[in-house]
Parts: sequence; structure tokens; C-alpha cells
Amino acid sequence: MIEINALSKKYGEQTVLDIDQLEIPSGQTLGLVGNNGAGKTTLFSLMLDLIAPTTGQVSNNGSVVQESEGWKQHTAAFVDEQFLIGYLTAEEYFNFIGGLRDMSKNQVTTALDKYRDFFHGEVLGQKKYIRDLSKGNQKKVGIVGALLSDTPLVILDEPFANLDPTTQIRLKNLLREEASATGKTFLISSHDLQHVTEVCDRIVVLHKGKIVRDNKTSAKTLQELEAFFHEQL
Amino acid sequence: MLKRFLYLQQKSFFRGAGVATNVLQKILRGFVWVYFAFVFTGLAFIAFHYPQEELGVDPLVHANGYVLYGFVYWLVMRYFFQKMPLVHTQPLLVLPVSKNSIIRFGLFKTLFSFFNLGNLFFFIPFGVLLIQEDYTVSGVIGWWVSLASIILLTNFLNIMLNSIDRVLFIVASVLIGFFALQYFEVFDLSAYTAPVFMAPYNQPLWALVPVGLLAVSIRWSVQYFKQQLYLDNHEKKSKKEKHRSMELGWLDGFGRLAVFLRNDIRLIMRNKRARMTVWMGFAFVFYGFLFMTDIYSGAVWQIFVGIFVTGGFLFSFGQFVPSWDSSYYPLMMTQNVPYREYLTSKWWLVVVGTLVGMLLGSIYAFFSWETYLAILAGGVYNIGVNAYLVLLSGAYTRTPIDLTSTQKAFGDKKSFNLKTLLLSVPKIALPMFMFYVGVILGGKLLGIGMIAATGIVGFALRNVVFKWIEHIYKNEKHLTLEAYKQKNA
Repeated sequence: MIEINALSKKYGEQTVLDIDQLEIPSGQTLGLVGNNGAGKTTLFSLMLDLIAPTTGQVSNNGSVVQESEGWKQHTAAFVDEQFLIGYLTAEEYFNFIGGLRDMSKNQVTTALDKYRDFFHGEVLGQKKYIRDLSKGNQKKVGIVGALLSDTPLVILDEPFANLDPTTQIRLKNLLREEASATGKTFLISSHDLQHVTEVCDRIVVLHKGKIVRDNKTSAKTLQELEAFFHEQL
Repeated sequence: MLKRFLYLQQKSFFRGAGVATNVLQKILRGFVWVYFAFVFTGLAFIAFHYPQEELGVDPLVHANGYVLYGFVYWLVMRYFFQKMPLVHTQPLLVLPVSKNSIIRFGLFKTLFSFFNLGNLFFFIPFGVLLIQEDYTVSGVIGWWVSLASIILLTNFLNIMLNSIDRVLFIVASVLIGFFALQYFEVFDLSAYTAPVFMAPYNQPLWALVPVGLLAVSIRWSVQYFKQQLYLDNHEKKSKKEKHRSMELGWLDGFGRLAVFLRNDIRLIMRNKRARMTVWMGFAFVFYGFLFMTDIYSGAVWQIFVGIFVTGGFLFSFGQFVPSWDSSYYPLMMTQNVPYREYLTSKWWLVVVGTLVGMLLGSIYAFFSWETYLAILAGGVYNIGVNAYLVLLSGAYTRTPIDLTSTQKAFGDKKSFNLKTLLLSVPKIALPMFMFYVGVILGGKLLGIGMIAATGIVGFALRNVVFKWIEHIYKNEKHLTLEAYKQKNA
């Protein structure tokens, strides 16, 4: 699904990301962990062509994202609240992005049904603009916006942050369900080692812009990750 | 796609902060449209009949002599008054919307400006008159297509002027250069351009040249904006702009006020849009020279010059207090920030800006002592009255200013715009009226004296007025906080 070659990003003298090679096969749920400044968001931004790389390129489904915009058709992402449209209500926002992916209003409404639990009655039918929702609820809108249209690739930057504990558990279940039932590819970054090991079947650790670990998830993974971050103290 | 963009546009307009002012502005703009539509149509008839009947020359040849001036004038007007396209692009970047269509929409929006369509009110009647008079139809069309292309070309040039400083400096120096050559009668460019504009009438195929240039300018704009759509573009820019540490220790003499002054000075120095207000203040000083011409020889205009010359910074910076702080207004309101000191700091900045204007205005003394006296009186009035009025209107303006917007692809980059102008009208009209009364009662000097005296009285009442303004700011606090939240609109 995703192929990365000799990708680097420099700001002046400082190299913030330097990845020699990374391949993410279709259907995989990949977790990206690392401390602040490790380059997680930079990597996602490069994958989404939000910033231009210094060297190298990212291929999404065979086409280079820096060269053509075809990837947008099969990729959905939520990075942060900046990517929401604050003056729309949640429903209007969903209809807007659904419409961009050729979904009718009815299809959007049906698709939203699946997420009613996730919203916990706090988002839909509120007659509130997104900008007036709480940070947590804005996050929910963004996540559902990315899941709604059933694109084969979903990129979520720190989806667990800012959510209440119940919603975190709901999100975990939701992601696992979607991954197993639909065969979607997920890229998820997180600071919560437990959640990410529970959801993902492969964990990549970024440290100072480089990949330092890349393993399939096993029963020991959580312990190993905790040990790794302990060493950084 | 267009339908979707328009949907967002409409929602953001009606749900943004200050809908009422926005609607009012649109209505006012509509009136201006209608007014100029009539003026242009009238001009077309004059431009046709006057040279033919009074001068006995070919109206088309005569018009071509003025075309160049028209374009330059139009470009300058555009630079100051045409709004730049605002598109909130970030959410669209990860959605299946191609970058080209985002850019196309942004540029498309600019086409509906009066600056692009208004000329039709001149060219259509003028063209019809020409054709009635047995000018060839194909020639008139060729001529018209050329001029329309150049007008559209200046639309894209103006976008570049607003976005890239280098282009602004180059174009400004070229224009000033030719203006000087013409003024000192060294070289008259328009004598050479008149036949050039005649060419597409004689051979309509020449119209392809301006059309081609227009296509090139559109291509450039699209390519430029495509680069701008990367999110880290602003980091690249801020790298160029070196971090300047500013301790500003000399401000300590102001006591607690120094905290605010320091922050305000940093705000102005470190943000392009705020920095532009300082340049506007500087530019306004020279604005008075435009009024040295005969049209404005009426006495009332003198005080207009006085207020304007000293008030550039006051109008472009002062009127947007507290909007400058909008992005962190909630922070300010949760800190130990007494409104009194917050406002006093802004007031001082405006006063210093006005004093500098009065000082620089002394060049007018070489031309006329009376003008300089009017400038001094205008300055005193600005300090004593308008400085309060701008703070007061600021309490109600409540348009959030996004300081980072200059770094966005489609962002508002100007510090002086139509809104500034509308807000300035009462602040200029009031002293003009007062001066007029003074002139009727006892001559110019009395008028100037009255203006200055009003300013001094206002200055003396500082404490009372500040208490009142502070009260209003406190009352408006929650509404202001609410309005500033709507940044994305």
C-alpha cells in the first residue's frame, strides 16, 4: 500500500526525519510510536503531501504522492482540529466530505449509524458548529470523518489523545473491528503504548527522525516498548 | 466542485464573526458599484463626444493616449482596495479535492471584483458608440479584447503584489521611475504606448499578444499558489526571518506598563501584517502631496490632510485594537492583566505614531505654513480625540486577526483595507465639519485653533475617558472572547 524510499526532511541544518526504507502492505494496521519530536507527524504530513520532502518520496498504491494527487481518492486522514471546518455542524461536515467521495446524503446517514455509540449522543443533532464543540468531540468528528467513507487507507495522528477513557475503549474496539472486517489499512500514531499495541499488528518506533524498531506485535511487545522508552530516561 | 466551494463560502460568510458588519459592507460595496457603473458609462459618452466635437480628433486615438494612465491608476486602486481571495484551504488538503481546483476557485473568486468587471460599463457603451460611427466591428472587438486582457492581467499582477514583496518593490520602483521621467518632462511613455494600443484595432490579431500574456500570468499565479499550499511553507519563511531577541530594557522606565509595551512592540516587529501598519503610517505622511493639487484647494480639505497625514498609524493599527491580540485574547483575559494598562499601552503606541507623523509632516512647512499648522492641529486632535475613538471602535469591531495569515496561501495580507477606511470616516468627517464651522465664523486660523483646542481638551480629560473606555471593554469582554473563537471562518 505504502512504500517509502530514502525519505528525509530537513529544516535548515536540522534533520527531522530520515527514513531509508519502509513498506506497509495492504490490510496492515501499523502503529507509530515515539517521543515528541521523533518525527511522527512529519512522516504523516509527508505521506499526505502536506509538506514537501527534502529527499526521497512516498508511494501510495503505486503512485508517488508528491507527483500526482490520485492518492486522495483512496486515502482518508485526520491529523488535528485544523483540518476540520469550524463553521459547519458535524452533520454538514460529514455530508460535505461524503459528497466529495460521491456518497449521497442517505448513504452518509446510514454510514453514520455505525458511529452513534462512539459519539455517545454528544455530537449528532446538536445544532452546534464544530468550532463550538469540546476538543474531545471535535476529535471524534475528525476520526469519524476519516472512517466514514470506507477508503482502503486511513491515517490517524494520535487518535486517542484528548478522548475520555470510555471513548478510548470504544475507539479501540472500533478500529479493531474495521481492520478485521473490512481489510482497511490503518496508520495510527500514539503516545499510549497499551492502546497502540492492542490495536496494531505492527509497531514502528521512531526516535530522533529514524526508525529504531520495527516489529510485529506479540504478547511481549508492550513490555519491550516500555523498556525501550525507559532507557531514554 | 464549484458548487461545493460555494457552499462552504456561503456557510462561512453567514456563520463568521461579525455577520452584520459583513452584510453592511457588502451593501455599501453594492452602492459603490452602482455609483461607479454610472460614472463609467458617463465617462464613455464624454470620452467619445468630447474629443470629436470639441477637439476635433479621433476619439479612439484620444482614448488610447489615456489608456496607460488608466491601467496604472487601476492597479494602484486595486492594490489598496481589492480584497484578496480568502480560502480556508487546510481541511481540503487531505480530502479528494485537487490542489488545482482549490487554486482555481481562489483565483476565480477574484474575477468578480468590480476591478475586473467595472470596466465593462465603460467599454461596452464606448464600443457601441464607435461601431455606430462606422468603426470596424472586428477592430473594436480586437481593441476591447486587448484592453480587457490587460485589465485581467493586472488582477493577477495585483495578487502577486500582495503576496510577494519583491514584486511589489520592483513594480513600485518602475512606476515611480516612469512617473518621475514624465513629471520632469524627460520622457513621455504614453506617447509611445498610444500607437501600441491602436494596433489591435488596425489588425485584430494583435489582440492575441495580451491574451497570451494573460494566460502566462494565470499560469504563474497557479504555480505560485501550488507551492504555497504546503503547510511547512511558513516554517521555511520564518527561517529566513531571523529570530530577533528584543529585550527592550529601555522600556523599564514605564514601570508595569513596560510589560505591555514590550509585548506590543514585539507584536509589531515580528508580524508582517502588523509591521505593515508602520509602513502605512509612513506612507500616509506623503499622502498629503496628492492634496496639493487644485482640486483640494478648498479650506476644509486642509484639515483633512492634517488628520490623514498624522493618522496613518492610528487608523491602520489603532482601529484593530484589541483584534491584534485575538489569537491569545483568552490568555490575556486569564492573566493578571488590568484593562487600564493594556489600553494605555496601545494608546501610547498610537500617540507615538502620531507624534512621529507630526514631526515628518514638517516637510510641508516648506510649501505652506498654513498646511503645516493644519497638520499640527490634526495631530493634536488625533491624540486628544481620535486616539480614544479608535480604542472605542476597537471594542466593537471584534474581527479576529490571524497574524499568521500572511504566511498562508490565500490569506488576508493587508493592513489597510476598505474596512479600515469605513471605520475612519467619522474620525475624519467630524473635525472637517468643526473646521468648516470655524472658517465660517472667523477664518482658517480660528478653525485650526478650534481643532487643536478640542484635541487639548480631550487630552486633559484622559483619566475620565479611559475609565469610560475601560468600562466598555469590560462589558464587551465576553462577546469579544466569543467572536475571537471564530478564527476559521
